[in-house]
Amino acid sequence: MADKGFDDIADSTDWLATPLPGLAAVEAALRCQICKDFYATPMLTSCNHTFCSMCIRRALANDGKCPACRSSQELSKLRSNWSMEEAVLAFVRTRDDVLALARKPPTVLVETVEVPVATTTTTASSASPPPKHALDVDEGKEYAAEDQPAKRLRSSARRSKTRGAELTAEMARQEASFSMPSSHSVPDQTYNDGLVACPICLERMKEVQVDRHLDSSCPGTPQEQPPKQKSTSSSHRNGFQVLSRPAAPPKPERLPTLSYSMLKDAQLRKKLADLGIPKDGSREILQKRHQEWITIWNANCDSLHPKRKSELLQDLDVWERTLGSRAPTSSRSIHQGAQIKDKGFDHAAWSAKHDSSFQDLVASARKSRAQALQKANEGQASTEMSPQQQSAGASTTSMASPSSPSHMHVDQNSLPLDVSSASEPPGPPPNREYTPPSMPGRSNPMAGLPVIDTAAMYYQLYGTGEPS
Amino acid sequence: MASTAHRRLLQEYRALTNNPPDGITAGPMSEDDLLQWEALIQGPEGTPFEGGIFPAELKFPKDYPLAPPTMKFLGEIFHPNGMCCPHLPMGRYRRKLINIASVRPRLHLHPASPGDDPNHYEHASERWSPIQSVEKILISVMSMLAEPNDESPANVEAAKMWRDRRAEYEQKVRDGVRRMLGL
Repeated sequence: MADKGFDDIADSTDWLATPLPGLAAVEAALRCQICKDFYATPMLTSCNHTFCSMCIRRALANDGKCPACRSSQELSKLRSNWSMEEAVLAFVRTRDDVLALARKPPTVLVETVEVPVATTTTTASSASPPPKHALDVDEGKEYAAEDQPAKRLRSSARRSKTRGAELTAEMARQEASFSMPSSHSVPDQTYNDGLVACPICLERMKEVQVDRHLDSSCPGTPQEQPPKQKSTSSSHRNGFQVLSRPAAPPKPERLPTLSYSMLKDAQLRKKLADLGIPKDGSREILQKRHQEWITIWNANCDSLHPKRKSELLQDLDVWERTLGSRAPTSSRSIHQGAQIKDKGFDHAAWSAKHDSSFQDLVASARKSRAQALQKANEGQASTEMSPQQQSAGASTTSMASPSSPSHMHVDQNSLPLDVSSASEPPGPPPNREYTPPSMPGRSNPMAGLPVIDTAAMYYQLYGTGEPS
Repeated sequence: MASTAHRRLLQEYRALTNNPPDGITAGPMSEDDLLQWEALIQGPEGTPFEGGIFPAELKFPKDYPLAPPTMKFLGEIFHPNGMCCPHLPMGRYRRKLINIASVRPRLHLHPASPGDDPNHYEHASERWSPIQSVEKILISVMSMLAEPNDESPANVEAAKMWRDRRAEYEQKVRDGVRRMLGL
């Protein structure tokens, strides 16, 4: 049922059994509190809590409040937390290595304790390259976040030279499993132009110019240039911009939420068709599907590496199979409700299939009704009602009996599946076709109104029995 | 293929296995259905429940963690916030069974929609939120065993006895524990 075996699931508690239990807290801080997994496209709420984009979008669509502090939040106020994403990426890349080393038997413990610390430090520094560190410059070359594993590999390779042969072999083995297709050698992207970066706007200039620049012409925010310009004026770049978005195809637009109550079924179906997602199912399913698609789509818009629409459609398909129209149902009643409301619902087959249970319910309803009547009669007898009142009660009984063709009593409780109604007064008469529950457009307008005993009223008004 | 609920439950199960809280064991009943869990809660030490082991059943909705699980003690338990009488029909009493988790710190296991909340005195912060977890629920329930929440009693008789005749209450709880253990 799950993608991974139980033992493959990484959790922050994995560190507790190692000599580095402190890393459990580090890892816990890098995990989303909703899905308990590492942050995927972390987003910052306006109350400064961070969640995965998908998680917080689902949660807000559900109740509009921050899950952590319960303050009201809006989807439009979410902001990307890219530093967190960098931290998560860096940690996840190094996690397996560190954990493997930390779990080694204590003979190499002295060394292994140092290694994880060193590795994390190195990773952290490579994730945010030091701007002053000047090495060779490769003009016009784009540096994206994907280049980081290569850098990390080299730095850890350098360190492994100083270690014992056993550790070197171990590291080599881990690095081999670590290598990625894009791990070609990339020169460090720092500058050797004798200039320094303005600490605020990151513009490069001579050191003596910085003070004056700060006082006069600094725009006050980091000036990011579009990727196209970067390649032509790369001398204005520095290491910080590794953190910015890589050159990507034009971003897809976020989808607005719809107020479903304003839309008719057909309009909603058309909206779904326009979006290119399935448009079958009940109204409820349509709304849920649209909501889920908006969540998936907008979370993808937040992502640094957006997926293609076909992949998103696969995600929607997974949702469809687990929570949507094709979900296996543990709660039968909900599913049946949806089924019955479906347009192509086969009423005849449904009645045939559930005939026996309908019969049972009718039988038990009759039985309990008979008992109730008996009790009522006994009650009447014991309180010694006047003969007039008794006749009124009797006429009521005859009106409400199952043989009478139509009466409000009957309409009110014609839901054979509802077990609770079994104890209520009469079920549908035997010669009637049963109405399955929750039929669209069949809600009884009289439901909830007090049952009017016409016979008794008639008697009170005219002092005689039923109208002839 | 795994839904969000399954991934998260598997993750929680992993954490509970790696680092089980004192006196609490919990896990899915079978590998095929992660939405049904069984939990064992030890009676907290220093309370009349001490020595008892209380099995409970947790049922998770498909959209967990957006919606909360429901929890039910499987055995009989005499407690102001919980009443489990196997012979009582479900339905009317179900709410009371679930109310076992109206604990301090209270985790109301009902959905957070205001119209749906039968206990209007519950503050928003005490309601379910997706960042709650199985572990937190079970710990809260355990702490509730030690310290009943008399603001929302489900078992009025137990609540009265707890308030007015503490010694009798404790004796009754102890008897219940012994009976459950087959002593």
